[in-house]
Amino acid sequence: MAHMAPPDDELNWIRNSLAGDTEAFAALVKQYQKMVYALVFRMTGSLDDAEDLAQETFLRAYQQLDSFRGEAKFSTWLCQIAVNLSLNWHAREKRRGDVHSKWAGNSIVENEGNDEFPDELSRRVQDALDRLPAKQRAAIVLTVYENHSHAEAAKLLKCTEATVSWRVFAARQKLKRWLTGISHEQL
Amino acid sequence: MNNSELDAILKRARAPERSEEFFETFPHQVARQLKRTGQQGLPVGPRWFPRLAWGLATAVCVLIGFAIGHWCGRTGAEALESKDVLQNAKFVQETLAMFPNQVCVIMHDQHGLNLVLSNRGDVPASPPIYVRVCDGKNCSSCVTFSGQEVQIAGQELTILSDAAGGVIVTGRRFVWSSNLPHSTGGNLKIETKSLNLTTL
Repeated sequence: MAHMAPPDDELNWIRNSLAGDTEAFAALVKQYQKMVYALVFRMTGSLDDAEDLAQETFLRAYQQLDSFRGEAKFSTWLCQIAVNLSLNWHAREKRRGDVHSKWAGNSIVENEGNDEFPDELSRRVQDALDRLPAKQRAAIVLTVYENHSHAEAAKLLKCTEATVSWRVFAARQKLKRWLTGISHEQL
Repeated sequence: MNNSELDAILKRARAPERSEEFFETFPHQVARQLKRTGQQGLPVGPRWFPRLAWGLATAVCVLIGFAIGHWCGRTGAEALESKDVLQNAKFVQETLAMFPNQVCVIMHDQHGLNLVLSNRGDVPASPPIYVRVCDGKNCSSCVTFSGQEVQIAGQELTILSDAAGGVIVTGRRFVWSSNLPHSTGGNLKIETKSLNLTTL
């Protein structure tokens, strides 16, 4: 989770970015890059794609900065862009040769080859997240990892609160099944 | 495993860490990319163009929609009914399966879809009943079970099924029955049917 910048600093960075100061925008990137990177990694399960999507998130944010009204926190606004880009990425990948199903089948192999996970539990959890349908994964990422309420997540995902609750419920059922056997000693 | 145990496991998992060097250079990389692609960050056309294109596309779709609706000779009410998500068997079945013995009412009104669940999971298993109520201005519909009290069209109604497979709706000042075609639901127009989900 990103450390909060003093609101005045953040406001100045946004104002200066709107005036075309890319270095001010770089300060915003520095502030929120870890949050965005973690979010898109959980959504994609891939380091390379996470890097691309994180970069795309910030580029899109810069492009749309004049539409940021300050009604929500800047981090929430960024979150929305990152999640929507990730969902689009999934849809794109699915269109390209139905990678979605291939992904679910091969994700374990892919992550087994990825030795950058800090521990076995982290790898198993990401494998389980990778197997979830993209929208259910987004609901879990927003509510569990980003601590948004179901109502906030519904706004970000542009669906009803009931839909988010159902997605979270369905995702939890699957995750519990897939993650059984993780003992408390591993926690 | 309960929800809080699952959350603890999920939160314990960490994404592969990138080096501090990566996070040092990343903001500058983004800034360079912005400079390279110009003031607006990404090379895009004039902003009014996509809006105009979307506007035109929407207008064309609306016109086509009206034409098809007119061609089919359907009334607005019928068209609205066809959009009633509660007539979607798959939706109803999946919702009931997801919350076994917990669903009191699935409500669809002008505010959208709402789900009323029982915390105790004590809703008796019985054939679901579809109820549609119109008060002259708005129509609301719900799927519920015999014995449930529902707030619909601003009134508190009790929905009951009788032995003959009919549906009885009671309000404060009226009793309506699907078996009595001339019964009145006060100022409400009521339609009901017992849902057999396998044939819905």
